[in-house]
Amino acid sequence: MEIKTTGVAGTLESSDIQIMISKGTDGIQIDLDSEVAKAYGDQIKKVITDTLKKYGLDNVKVKATDKGALDCVIEARTLAAAQRATETSDKPELGVL
Amino acid sequence: MDKVVDLYLNDSSTRRKWKHFLEKLGLNNFSSREIDVIDHTLGLVDDDGNLVGTGSIAGNVLKYIGVCNEGAQPGARFNKIVTALQQYIFNQKIFHSFVFTKAKYSKSFQHLGFNELAHTKQAAFLESGTPDVNAFLDTIPKVKDQKNKKVAAIVMNANPFTLGHRHLIELASQENDLVYVFVVATNASLFNTDERMKLVQAGTADLKNVFVVSGGDYMVSRATFPAYFLKFPDDLVATQTQIDANVFKNIIAPRLFINSRYIGTEPFSRTTSFYNQSLIQVLEPSIKVVLVPRFEVNGQVITATKVRQLIKDDNLLAIQKLVPSTTMDFIKNNKEILQDRIKKGMNIDGN
Amino acid sequence: MTYVKNRLRRTMMFVPGNNPAMIKDAGIYGADSIMLDLEDAVSITEKDAARMLVYNAIKTVDFGGAEIVVRINGQDTPFYDEDVKTMVKAGVDVIRLPKTESAAMIQKLVKDMEKAEEEYGVKKDSIGVMAAIESAKGVLNAPEIATSTPLMMGLAVSGEDYTADMHTHRYPDGRELEFARNMVLQAARAADVYAFDTVFSNMNDTDGFYRETKYIYELGYDGKSLVNPRQIPMVNKVFNPSKDEIENAKAVENAIREAKAKGSGVISMNGKMVDKPVVAKATCVLETAKASNLIDEEGNYIGE
Repeated sequence: MEIKTTGVAGTLESSDIQIMISKGTDGIQIDLDSEVAKAYGDQIKKVITDTLKKYGLDNVKVKATDKGALDCVIEARTLAAAQRATETSDKPELGVL
Repeated sequence: MDKVVDLYLNDSSTRRKWKHFLEKLGLNNFSSREIDVIDHTLGLVDDDGNLVGTGSIAGNVLKYIGVCNEGAQPGARFNKIVTALQQYIFNQKIFHSFVFTKAKYSKSFQHLGFNELAHTKQAAFLESGTPDVNAFLDTIPKVKDQKNKKVAAIVMNANPFTLGHRHLIELASQENDLVYVFVVATNASLFNTDERMKLVQAGTADLKNVFVVSGGDYMVSRATFPAYFLKFPDDLVATQTQIDANVFKNIIAPRLFINSRYIGTEPFSRTTSFYNQSLIQVLEPSIKVVLVPRFEVNGQVITATKVRQLIKDDNLLAIQKLVPSTTMDFIKNNKEILQDRIKKGMNIDGN
Repeated sequence: MTYVKNRLRRTMMFVPGNNPAMIKDAGIYGADSIMLDLEDAVSITEKDAARMLVYNAIKTVDFGGAEIVVRINGQDTPFYDEDVKTMVKAGVDVIRLPKTESAAMIQKLVKDMEKAEEEYGVKKDSIGVMAAIESAKGVLNAPEIATSTPLMMGLAVSGEDYTADMHTHRYPDGRELEFARNMVLQAARAADVYAFDTVFSNMNDTDGFYRETKYIYELGYDGKSLVNPRQIPMVNKVFNPSKDEIENAKAVENAIREAKAKGSGVISMNGKMVDKPVVAKATCVLETAKASNLIDEEGNYIGE
């Protein structure tokens, strides 16, 4: 699976998370901006990483702006952004969720 | 619930409503310089059909963002309009955006994931998305053990690259271990960014310790600096130079271990000499500012403005003593194209 | 997948499918049905993201026992196919098809659902369908739509789009919806499926909302589509059975119990036969009364 463009999904509204995915060269790098980074930062990053790995992306740069999203929201937004980045949005990979 | 709508400012009644709304919020600069660059405008409309928020986008710069918070949760409308603007530019495949705004709104933008690049008492400059300033700085070539070297920087438009520019760079090259020449990347010039970059590179190819790089979106030029939010449009130059200088001093210089900045003195332009003064005020003492008198030929100061005027006058002979051969060749080979641009209205008086 | 044909459906709350804040809280308001919207509430460029969000939410969010309905995109859109597949896999209770104009459209939906059920190993017939009537054609074809499949749960009137199709718009007195409301209701009753009225979007006109809700309750509608949780208790109030209705319903229940105990095949009460519609109405009344805390678990009246 190849990243063809930058893919963004999610909004900055409360309870959501905005995930921006672009090509990376050094594994899965996540730049997380969250008000609960201290308590939940690792958990949020883990959910993003697991979702990307399950989808099959190993080298990505992720910019995540979290507004208090539940794990199910983080997963859904991450997958949506990943599919937009690989331009495969018309074939949702539900198996990842 | 508030709805996001498209606002078409070319419709006069829409424009009037929009202006009126922003005036109530204290924004009153609607000069054509600020309006003509707007690509799209969005509005927030409440259940009664009133305009309660708006935001516009010009290229990748957000501007004219304003919300009325009456009857709404604080921050909710701001959030909604900025989010909607971002969705709009994402759909245009623009994933990196900037905002220039009143200093007091910086925190609000930071809350939405924007990263502040610089601020003054009046203004703030922020960016969001990718690639960001760190990615930009990563692409700039560096040398081994750079932090222990003497590193200088020059920022120039080079429209086009003249012997005056060459003189400045040569001096810096002699006095330092490494020189960065940042070429301002804006296409509001007679020679476009690509052409200007190539001419600077060609004109300094023999100087081994000079790196010519694009200033990207981070050298804030007067041509593109939005003034819409300033109380007094005359503050534009002061605000712009301060913001520009702060980005350079706090973000760019530290990463590249730049210790000094070389600038040519400006005997003719009051704005440029004022700009230089502001630069000195902001940059020193952490960064030494070296003022170099403009290079003269036969007692005449060499300026790119003069070169452009001579192109317009079709006096290529006179250009020969003002520019290096690499620039001269380019001008000779592209004379028609350049003159055509001038004829089509390209401004040659500015930078 | 907890689709049951018969249950309380007084309130169907619309929740925009691309809004995590509203989705995660949808279950706390006590709506009988929650309708997650992939259609009009989601902009074209967000259809893919909303679909994933709704899918994941259905699998993980606690909606408090409410029925889960999803309004997919129309059959004439490029989003329809993946919407059906994804919502079947998610295991919704009911799929709502917008702009339904014929039985054939519903039958196509059911076929597409069957294919997806097979692909994903979802139990056949575990998901119901409902039809949104949004045009003149839809209204006139309501009878055939209502009987198009055994999986039909109900018909809903979509006022905004219908009035646009009729070259008019919504008015406070609702006259422009008279024919549609009655026709859809008739078709639903004749087919023994549910009937839902359209949304009322003026949050500031409480009187108007009550007026409209009382009117459709009087006509015989089963429930109303809502866009704001504040409307839920208002609808429930209107749909509350009276003390007399409750007492009567309890009497019917007692008559049935007695008949069963005697082994009698015929149930009579007050000298008259108690037939199916009466039993159905009694059941509904008691269900509603219980849900509104008008009677307790034992059936004792505790309302005001």
